[in-house]
Amino acid sequence: MDCEKIMRLFQSELVVVNVGPKLFAEALEKQNYQTVQVDWKPIAGGDREMQDILAVLGGLD
Amino acid sequence: MTIEQKVNAANAQAVEILTKARPVWADVQPAIDVIPGMSKNTVLVPGPPLPVERITPPIRTSICGAVVHEGLAKTKEDAWEMVLRGEITVEPAQNHQCGCAACMVVSASMPVMVAEDRVYGGKGYAPIHPGPNPKCLRWGFYDEDVERDLSWFRDHFGPALGRAVRKSGGIDLITVLAKTAGMGDENHNRQPAASMYLALQVIPWMLDDPDPQRDEMIRHFAANDRFFLHPMMAGVESITKSIKKIPLSTVVAGMAGNGVEFGIQLAGTGNRWYTTQAPVIQGTFLNPSYTEADLLGYLGDSCVTEVYGLGGMSAIAGPAYLRMTGSTIAEARSRTEKARAVSLGEHTFAPIPWDDFKGFPVGLDARKIVGLNILPISHGGSALKKGGQGGAGAAELPLECFKDALRAIHKETLAQAEQEG
Amino acid sequence: MEVFVKIERGRYVDSLETLLASSVLNEQPGIEIGCAGMATAPGKDVLESVGLLTEELNACDGSCYIIAARAESQEAFDRAVAEVEASLAPVDEEETETSYPTIKAAAEGCPRANLCSIAVPGEYALGEVKRALNAGLHCVVFSNNVPLSEEREMKELARKKGLLCMGPDCGVANINGAALVLASINNRGPFGICGASGVGIQHVAAILHEAGTGVSQTIGTGGNDLKNEVGGIMMHMGIDALEADPETKYIALIARRIGDQVLPGLLERISRCKKPVVALFMSCDQTTVEGAGAIWARDLDDCAQKCLALTGQTYRLDTDEEIQARAAQAVALLAKEQKYVRGAFSGGTFMDEAMHALIPKVGEVHSNIALRPEWQLPDSQVSVKNTCIDYGEEEFTLGRPHPAIDPGVRRPAIPREAADPETAVILLDFILTPPGHMDPVGYVLPDIRRAQEQARASGRELVFVASVLGTDADLQNVSVQRQKLAEAGVLVCKTNHQAALLAGEIIRQKKERDEHGL
Repeated sequence: MDCEKIMRLFQSELVVVNVGPKLFAEALEKQNYQTVQVDWKPIAGGDREMQDILAVLGGLD
Repeated sequence: MTIEQKVNAANAQAVEILTKARPVWADVQPAIDVIPGMSKNTVLVPGPPLPVERITPPIRTSICGAVVHEGLAKTKEDAWEMVLRGEITVEPAQNHQCGCAACMVVSASMPVMVAEDRVYGGKGYAPIHPGPNPKCLRWGFYDEDVERDLSWFRDHFGPALGRAVRKSGGIDLITVLAKTAGMGDENHNRQPAASMYLALQVIPWMLDDPDPQRDEMIRHFAANDRFFLHPMMAGVESITKSIKKIPLSTVVAGMAGNGVEFGIQLAGTGNRWYTTQAPVIQGTFLNPSYTEADLLGYLGDSCVTEVYGLGGMSAIAGPAYLRMTGSTIAEARSRTEKARAVSLGEHTFAPIPWDDFKGFPVGLDARKIVGLNILPISHGGSALKKGGQGGAGAAELPLECFKDALRAIHKETLAQAEQEG
Repeated sequence: MEVFVKIERGRYVDSLETLLASSVLNEQPGIEIGCAGMATAPGKDVLESVGLLTEELNACDGSCYIIAARAESQEAFDRAVAEVEASLAPVDEEETETSYPTIKAAAEGCPRANLCSIAVPGEYALGEVKRALNAGLHCVVFSNNVPLSEEREMKELARKKGLLCMGPDCGVANINGAALVLASINNRGPFGICGASGVGIQHVAAILHEAGTGVSQTIGTGGNDLKNEVGGIMMHMGIDALEADPETKYIALIARRIGDQVLPGLLERISRCKKPVVALFMSCDQTTVEGAGAIWARDLDDCAQKCLALTGQTYRLDTDEEIQARAAQAVALLAKEQKYVRGAFSGGTFMDEAMHALIPKVGEVHSNIALRPEWQLPDSQVSVKNTCIDYGEEEFTLGRPHPAIDPGVRRPAIPREAADPETAVILLDFILTPPGHMDPVGYVLPDIRRAQEQARASGRELVFVASVLGTDADLQNVSVQRQKLAEAGVLVCKTNHQAALLAGEIIRQKKERDEHGL
């Protein structure tokens, strides 16, 4: 396998996008790593009908 | 192609138009001469359609004023009887590519600004901003003073502006936005810089106008720091004309309130409205005795500017408005970030200096609004139930109309799939 | 109520500010209605409309800034004016943390971001992982309960893009020196670890750290990676990456159960590996592992020892004799009715390891996740003879975080087991990690002390045996945590395996004494 991107990760300063509880981001910040937080919410606020429609219409990249 | 790919392609087309269109304020003409589908007894009103009996008092006054102004009735009371009898055609202005801010309405003889999109050929319209006097048809007032102003606009100001703009060859609205980038306008509720720059472009062409009231007109024009809102609305209408015919696109192509309901239009379904209860503008009051109970729900078409990425969408470009309405810079930044999260495109012609020279977002995608559960925030002035402006602030766009819109597009995809067998 | 006014001649306050000032004024207690603004004609119109236009104000011109209000008292008015002034002071905005609504927005807003840590409910994990991978980010995915087909989908996408997808259900990874998810902070060194057991990786890495060396990278694949349905995609990518990484000199692989369709490909890959490999494959025999050219490891302690052997180092663990001697001292304290060990664990790997170590010494071990069906506890709240309970299981953690983060999950265990007169040994594990409790030992010490006091009051002596997984680089510092246990009379062992051996040995010797009166 081509490991180029993984090697680039290993040789770069780690900067983490944190999706979910802030606890994990805070833990990394305590170790002096930079993090950016994503305010994650369930798709369509958990509305099942909309989740089904969006599964077809897409657009949530 | 999967349905998602089809929708993405349709949206890409809509965003290309939104970002590449070149709206130009080209003319001022009587509404009946230029607005398609306009008739002598048509009155165009702001917002999504509403049965006449549910129309709010200030809009009712404006409609009746317009009917009297047109000479179709002697009194406002007679005018309303005509409306109830169906003798006056009351239609959403945006269905005619016209934008009526606040409580403004448009009738046959009123002068409207004509904007042309010189890339895609669409045309859009808007009446002329009446100026700083709070007693005007635009805020739901009609009496002898207002009639005098309307007549002056019809007989003097409108024609003179038309002559000047025609002589100038048209005012490129994107140039105005680009030239005034970084001057603190968010261009929905605050546009002193754009209005000044626009006046600089137009006034030279008015200086040799033959109308004996020329100097008064120039004074009136130069004193109105909100003037730019209306040509910009016409400009946006000239662009949305070209995106309202792209099947399956989930890009927002129109939005407005009528005081009772708030509605949106999608590029994929043209002039179809998706409506829900109108939110109330939260912010500051112009008079300390006012309370939220005095306010109507979101009212007016001026939020078409938001469709183009102005106002709340580019709140960080105009932080002063946030201050004025009791909010913060952080909130301004957050409004723009929210809009970016649910928008598909970016305008690059007016970078925001204190936002790393980023452009402002354009092309709200209903899928993202619903899916990410991020409600963009529109700026707006609030109307009083009794008429007049109550305050200024912002409102979160209501989720339910976006859900409805997605249901409709989803239905269309099912119908299309059935057709294709 | 009376109208009070404040007039400041020559002060200009823009309408921008006065609207806000009026709002603030009207929110103040004791103010019926108030107004702030320049005394221009429109400004006076407003004042008049609300009945505040006194003669004094009417005499002001547009150069005056005025605050007027109908207020309860002069004091109320003055207080309100002070608030208004404060609201007009320049806003000193706090350094607000930026957060983004989506991964894409975060990646665009922070172009240096290179890894995405995802901990969302399992049903949403696939979508978020795809978004992260599409944004070019490597992923570490703590989410669990992800269907295997979805796990495969995300890992196939990761492979296609050449990006790591550690997890779902990844508990431990150390990338570039950072402890991710529930890992410990480790020194860096020449050993690269890739494994399907979080605690397994953490344990081996901690021993390497304590022995004075360390890890280059550790890649947790998630517990299901080596199942047939997933195909070991991340294990293969991990081996490729560690082989390519110039900082990694030796590779350790850890897996519990390996799918029969996955094993041959994995062994083949190991046989081609250019770097020395130590493999702890719990479901494989020694011959199979050695047949692929790897160094076979029996258990986690052994895996760490075999790694250290590659660099000529060792890590001193207690010998059997030493364990027997420690056990004998403890047994001497036990009362007649004390016969059983009760283990309370914060995760499945350590409980499994402990039960395997206990069985040869004590026989059957009951559990909520038993090694044999007939040892299954009917009620996880009621221990039977020798019992081990995994408090990391869903029945305990539903709606609560992992016990390493929230030690409260396991808290009822100590008083309950201590109250049983047949309990001889309480066996505990502690796990240190940056997002975890900052003093997990300190958290349970009062419970341990209370249990000991109550037992003593009934003429018994309870034996506590514990191990702490972590390093002295961890925020909680493993040495400090161990010291606290030791000071409370707890028998501290270097590893979980050794703690289980000691606990088992105590029970074995006690039984021998009871039966033979030795």
